[in-house]
Amino acid sequence: MNVIETENLIKTYKRYKKKEGIRGSIQGLFHREYEEKNAVNSVSLQIAEGDFLGLIGPNGAGKTTLIKMLTGIIAPTSGRIEVLGFYPNDLKNEFKMQYAVVMGQKSQLFFELTASDTLRMFKEIYEIPEEEYQRRKKYFTELFQVEELMNMQVRTLSLGERMKMELIAALLHNPRILFLDEPTIGLDAVASRQIRSFLKRVNQERGTTILLTSHYMEDIKMLCGRSIVINHGNKIYDGNTEELFERYQRNKKITATFEHAPGRDFEKWAGEAFRGQAVTILENTPYKKVWRVAKENANHVLQEIMRQEPADISVEEEEIGVIVERIYREEEAYA
Amino acid sequence: MMTRFQKNYRVVKELVRLRFQNLMMFRLGFFGPFFVDGSMFAIQLLVFRAVYSNIDRIGSWREGEVILYIGTFSLLNAVSMVVSFFGVIDIAPKIQSGEMDLYLTKPVSPLLRLTFEKVNPGSVPLVAMSVLIIIYGIGKAQIVPTAGKIAAYLFWFAVMEILYYCMEVLMRCIAFFIVSTAKMERLEEAGLELCMKLPGIAFYGVWKLIFYCFLPYGIMATLPVQSMVGEMSWGLGLFGAAVVSAFCLLTCFVWKRGVRRYNSASS
Repeated sequence: MNVIETENLIKTYKRYKKKEGIRGSIQGLFHREYEEKNAVNSVSLQIAEGDFLGLIGPNGAGKTTLIKMLTGIIAPTSGRIEVLGFYPNDLKNEFKMQYAVVMGQKSQLFFELTASDTLRMFKEIYEIPEEEYQRRKKYFTELFQVEELMNMQVRTLSLGERMKMELIAALLHNPRILFLDEPTIGLDAVASRQIRSFLKRVNQERGTTILLTSHYMEDIKMLCGRSIVINHGNKIYDGNTEELFERYQRNKKITATFEHAPGRDFEKWAGEAFRGQAVTILENTPYKKVWRVAKENANHVLQEIMRQEPADISVEEEEIGVIVERIYREEEAYA
Repeated sequence: MMTRFQKNYRVVKELVRLRFQNLMMFRLGFFGPFFVDGSMFAIQLLVFRAVYSNIDRIGSWREGEVILYIGTFSLLNAVSMVVSFFGVIDIAPKIQSGEMDLYLTKPVSPLLRLTFEKVNPGSVPLVAMSVLIIIYGIGKAQIVPTAGKIAAYLFWFAVMEILYYCMEVLMRCIAFFIVSTAKMERLEEAGLELCMKLPGIAFYGVWKLIFYCFLPYGIMATLPVQSMVGEMSWGLGLFGAAVVSAFCLLTCFVWKRGVRRYNSASS
């Protein structure tokens, strides 16, 4: 059963085009030119109950605008939109009882008070009976391992801890759909990993449909079975996440740091070891080397580097922008 | 399922409880407003005293009625400051910053939440002082406060408090449609300041039209006082009710249209 359906969804913003200088300003008082920009352009999608879907795209692609339309915060300019059988911008309470939204850059917690205080407020807003409230609170505080933080002032919590509290506040009323807009933004690797594993459990154990936007490929790869790539408001990919990476991710970034700067022999060694492996050096300082390696050769190159006993080594996915650009280029070539 | 009234009552109760807890996190933040608001009120009284010490009468009103008027306006203002003012003034900044997003996604009226989110116990002394001024004014004007007069006064006071609230919200809702609301808020301040010093009966011609119909600050304290001093006619009563109803409907309409038009500042 689909919980979200949109058809040719468009959101257009009008922007005032001011001419340069004081003359332009005076002209603007009497006659203005506007430019129309489609933040979301003819997007059609269906999302089934229980899906974990990733919404990918560079800055300004239209991800947040799409989430805002799906949650009813803003009204679409045209097109059909139905979430849980409601037109979101009607802002009906029956609809709002069934979803939750977490925006990485906007907090719903009372900063001067404790997370428990905010939860109590949400208990009233979502009409949760006391017994049920206590049971859910216990479940989530144990799941997120934050029992000892519940009575701390929110402002004293770290960013990662605060995000866990945001998620608990969002999940407390057991929503059918959870919209997450950049939930791991600014978090360190450990906190991001924890958040990812909690979200996975929530999706699996409670069957919550989750729609996640993120800049980080790791988030999408780890969590989402299906991905939608958006660029300039247009949907340019909608399908299996594994397939997305298989088809469009060509390279990996390997970063190695060394305790002692490798000497000239290292360069010579690298030249020989990486020959024919499609390796490009991106950063080359005495203690740190960064390579871009073709995905299929990453394993071999990694083994070679490990022989040089680096102090630390990491392998990263390609950035979202690079993948989007690649999809875009291929789509254009087919067109 | 709770009824909407029950739910709203519980939400408001929780908001007030949270606000008290929030204020009590900082002792100076909690006790400070009592001193600040009290001092401002004393200064205001001195200004009124200076203004009215040389004026014998305004229209049919003598000193006692004017004191009653000043007390009534102060009470309207004080009640608003205790209950809704500090929440309502946040409406425009929340629209402009996009913070309104989180209010719109919760299953409770965003306006209800904004209204009661920042109750201000620091202004409670102003309420008490205003009541004392009203009692003093009634004595000075030698009014015999019968049950009927008190009921009429309280009725008109409640109605005008609603009008006061509507005007506050209306001025801030404009932020849904235009970028800056600073000028509108200055207009509100100027209107309030003038009408706080000058009762509605002092206005004539176009001024009366403006301050009775378009910026109805002129009737806010005037009508309750007129009901107490026995100057309230059926015509005036109907006019007052019509103005309040019109502004309530207008506020409701502008708020609803505004929410639909909300564009949400980019994250």
